[in-house]
Amino acid sequence: MKNNIILYVGILIFGIAAPFIFPAFKVQLSILCVLIVLATTWNIQGGEMGYNSFGNILFYGLGMYLCASVQVGMFFPLAEWTESGGEKTFVHTPTQFFQGMAVGLIVAAVVPTIVAGLIGYSILGLRGHYFAICTLGLGVAAGEISGGIEIIGAGQGFTTPPFPDVGSLDSRGEFFYFLSFFTLVLTFIAVRSIYSTRFKLILNAIRDNEDKAEAMGIETMKYKIIGWMISAFFCGLAGGIMGGLVGYIDSTDVAFDGREMGVFMVLMAILGGKGTLWGPIIGATVFHIFKEGFWTFFLGWQYVALGVLIVVIVIYFPEGIMGWLREKYPERFGEVVDEKDRKAQVELK
Amino acid sequence: MKLNKIILSFVSALVILFSTSVASFAKVVGDKIILGAAISLTGKYSSNGVHTQNGYNMAVDRINSMGGVKVGGKTYKFDIIYYDDESNPKRAAQLAERLISQDGVEFMLGPYSSGLTKAIAPVTEKYGVPMVEANGASRSLFTKGYKYLFAVLAPANLYLDVAIDLAVEKNNGKPVTVAMAFEQDAFSQDVRLGVLDAIKRTGSKKVIDDKLPKELNDMAATLVKVKQMKPDVLVVSGHTKGALTAIRQISEMKVDVPMLAMTHCDAAKLSKQHGKNSQYALCASQWHKTLTYKDNFFKDGMTYDADFTKEFGYAPPYQAAESSAALLVFKDAFERANSFDQKKVRDALAATNMQTFYGNIKFAEGGQNVDKPMVLFQVMCDDGGKCENKVVAPTKWASAKLIHPIPSWSKR
Repeated sequence: MKNNIILYVGILIFGIAAPFIFPAFKVQLSILCVLIVLATTWNIQGGEMGYNSFGNILFYGLGMYLCASVQVGMFFPLAEWTESGGEKTFVHTPTQFFQGMAVGLIVAAVVPTIVAGLIGYSILGLRGHYFAICTLGLGVAAGEISGGIEIIGAGQGFTTPPFPDVGSLDSRGEFFYFLSFFTLVLTFIAVRSIYSTRFKLILNAIRDNEDKAEAMGIETMKYKIIGWMISAFFCGLAGGIMGGLVGYIDSTDVAFDGREMGVFMVLMAILGGKGTLWGPIIGATVFHIFKEGFWTFFLGWQYVALGVLIVVIVIYFPEGIMGWLREKYPERFGEVVDEKDRKAQVELK
Repeated sequence: MKLNKIILSFVSALVILFSTSVASFAKVVGDKIILGAAISLTGKYSSNGVHTQNGYNMAVDRINSMGGVKVGGKTYKFDIIYYDDESNPKRAAQLAERLISQDGVEFMLGPYSSGLTKAIAPVTEKYGVPMVEANGASRSLFTKGYKYLFAVLAPANLYLDVAIDLAVEKNNGKPVTVAMAFEQDAFSQDVRLGVLDAIKRTGSKKVIDDKLPKELNDMAATLVKVKQMKPDVLVVSGHTKGALTAIRQISEMKVDVPMLAMTHCDAAKLSKQHGKNSQYALCASQWHKTLTYKDNFFKDGMTYDADFTKEFGYAPPYQAAESSAALLVFKDAFERANSFDQKKVRDALAATNMQTFYGNIKFAEGGQNVDKPMVLFQVMCDDGGKCENKVVAPTKWASAKLIHPIPSWSKR
């Protein structure tokens, strides 16, 4: 326990100091925080519950559009803001910007949660790959539909309000970094406390044998929906932040970016080890560093390199980094191996 | 718990990795002026991204070999740091940030496409980094009050409105019916706005107004409608893939329409890829090799065309030409500013008034080039099946007469 506190305080201090230690990397660090949030929340139903969702990108994109729309709509006519690709210019005062952002983020978190509840009610009855394919469709459909809605810019895209003229040049980066870092901390605390309750055990029961869980009197549907709603809450929040950070929302390339973000969040969780608390965090960090490295050193071939990485992960680390570590050093995970007993079993064979 | 040790060591490894990877570049190193550019080397804009990069590289080589840039009595050479934005706005914004804050770039060249430029412009603007861009034509880029954005090209809404005027003129001044099919992306939708303006102005009527998905490779549904409605003009815009898809399916489905107006015909190498099938297509272009503009570096359009073809093995589409022109603008501005101060360079850029092989360049308040009209060319083929793009409008530059209406497929 004492070690734990040292670890958490250490990471917290590192997180707070990071943008000042690496001022040039603020944007990458903010994105890293968002990626960790996405991977960690994907892990709730992907890892703990065993429902591989490709649809979390829906909540992320929804949050992005909602946050920006609220931020604009609170002070200016939204239709005029987006008309003709955003020809008219309105300028947010600093107060308007931050107020709008705050309200926008709340909406960006709450609405996707409700949407997840509604959609979950209708599709969480599907299992295995049927569920995966169904959710895959959700993201694609959302991208195409939002690309046709004029009020949010349709195919022209949506320029989010520019950061107001306060503080120094670094203010914007610092603001978004701390916003995403705060969200990350919030997500971590939420997920960690959830994982220490009976709720996690129920999710695991659903993963291991849903019928048996049901037979034991667990209302699996209820818990599945709640699990997905928790993911949606944080995905929406992450989307809202990302929209402000990128500054330009495009329906299929930025918001409902199933091809990249939608797949990345699954990949990161698997790379780190799904069904663990730290797995997605480690996975996202390693993935982000590799990705940035590939983009710098394998210009034009980065996707090939990324593909090789994925193949390597699948072949050599099917259980992810955490799973691999656990197998290699079980004693470090508090698992005691009785060498005698193990040998006896091996010899029996 | 031992697990904590693993995580702690992991975090410290991370710290070391990050701190060692901070590379220190600067805008001017020794005798080099380093420009930054995020280019679509992969993804849906990859072919045009490569045209853009080739255009940039060609101009860099040419300017460097012809004496470079003279600032403060010293000669400098251009160099460009490229990143691949994967045709993704999110990536592009991130890379702009990276170029400026990590690589220390103080002057930028634009990416390919309006959407990506829209994503990058707020970043360059925030840092006060002058950006000369050659491939972001969306009108909304120039109404945002950006001070550091300069575009050597004409805005997107001017691409195809001329075609509507031309159709009305051919229809003895009477309004025409227009079918429109535009990709759902910032550029194509802006072209659509221009066409809508022209429809309104001429009192014409739109009969089809379809939005097509990105990564356009099927527009059969629209073409079926076109066959039924028989409009006077069919307007299609969707970057390179849009142009290729349109010609492929129009020829397959034998769609007869008196006028077919498009964008990106030369970037798609239509006349080469589809030969006679692309005949009579009317295309909006920022530049054509037969235009008689001149400069000291590339001489004129014909020479540029020949030199480019020699170096890269294909004829330069206008995307390459305008990209080369961006470098000429930068060189000119650096020399006039006689300094590497970003504000001074920015002011020099704003005062640009020059002629390049690509056209006259003079920036309006919003940063768009107001001194260069668009041209329309038509794909024309001889009996041997050899096709060529010939300028048909405006009349000042026309090297051939517009063939109108397009003969029906049964007679071709």
